[in-house]
Amino acid sequence: MNSKPSRISYLTSGIIKENPTLILMIGLCPTLATTVTARDALGMAAAASFVLICSNIAISAIRKLVPDSVRIPIFIIIISTFVTIIDYVMQAYQPDLYRVLGVFVPLIVVNCIILGRAEAFAYHHGIFDSFLDGLGKSLGFTLVLFIMGSLRELFGAGTFFGSPVLPAAYRSAPMLFAIFPPGAFLLIGLLKALVNKLGWGR
Amino acid sequence: MKDSRTWMVLSLFITCLISAFALSQIYNLTLPQIEYQRNVAGLKAAFGTVMPEADRFEPATPDSSVWLAFKGETRIGSIIKTAKQGYGGPVPVTAGVDLQGRIVAIKVASAAEGLKETPGLGLKATEPEFRDQFRGKTAAEIRLTKDGGTIQAITGATITSRAVTDGVRETLEKYREMLILQQEPDSEQ
Repeated sequence: MNSKPSRISYLTSGIIKENPTLILMIGLCPTLATTVTARDALGMAAAASFVLICSNIAISAIRKLVPDSVRIPIFIIIISTFVTIIDYVMQAYQPDLYRVLGVFVPLIVVNCIILGRAEAFAYHHGIFDSFLDGLGKSLGFTLVLFIMGSLRELFGAGTFFGSPVLPAAYRSAPMLFAIFPPGAFLLIGLLKALVNKLGWGR
Repeated sequence: MKDSRTWMVLSLFITCLISAFALSQIYNLTLPQIEYQRNVAGLKAAFGTVMPEADRFEPATPDSSVWLAFKGETRIGSIIKTAKQGYGGPVPVTAGVDLQGRIVAIKVASAAEGLKETPGLGLKATEPEFRDQFRGKTAAEIRLTKDGGTIQAITGATITSRAVTDGVRETLEKYREMLILQQEPDSEQ
């Protein structure tokens, strides 16, 4: 159609059509590992979103100055700077969450979504467009993490954000499988199947 | 100019410089809060169950096996940490001690915290039935009944029980001077 895709599509495409976890199938490691409860999942999503949006903006801002040959090391320095910032901030103000997420906070550095967007989008687009792209992909990532975390917490513990929702009889003997790693694999498989069935990835 | 060799080196250098500067600023900004979480909130969570009244803890030995517990500015007791070899590995125990050298409460690390004792036997050391026996005891009394003391061992888990009692007693004796600040009041003798 028109040569330049509309700006709003940068934002919306990341949520469903190019959802990073369910369609592009990247960033699966935190999706599986940090979604034991809805709260942990949202904490992880917030940290990764902060890094993705900030690094997209920063990389887009300096893209005309960055030599092609050393762009990857420069991206990685920028990304790891933001990761370290969120690491310190979380340690200082959300110590419980930090304890739960543990090594997965520093591991945001190697989250493929972030380097992927830097390389594929922010390096070639303006600041505002890169911000929209980062926001859209973050929302898509957050959505999947939230669904995973909510379902696993609901079935695995009978609670939602720590407050009981299922009857006490279920909570005393919940489906523990859901909060173990195999449960995460099964659930992401089911979600992917659902998305394919709905034909979201066009 | 963008792809010249000089700029290639320089651009990386500048990126690192800015990044290092930003991180040092953030580090200084968050450091007091991180220290606070570690020293106050974190320690309170770890030691609160064995010394509920204390609101501040300070390490007293370089290996942090003894901590002084304060309420406001007043010293109200100490925390000792020990990890004597049990059946499957070391058995980490945290104990609160009052100023007369009596145990306030003890806490045995749970399986999730790295205790490797047998489920159903040694793991019972974490349960109140065993732990509560230590309340109010002094070093001389902390020994299994079969060793001539007053602590009833867990059935089938003598080695774990002994690791807890001996660990606590030996640490109490080793740091005796540091722990006991008040003599036993006469009326209680």
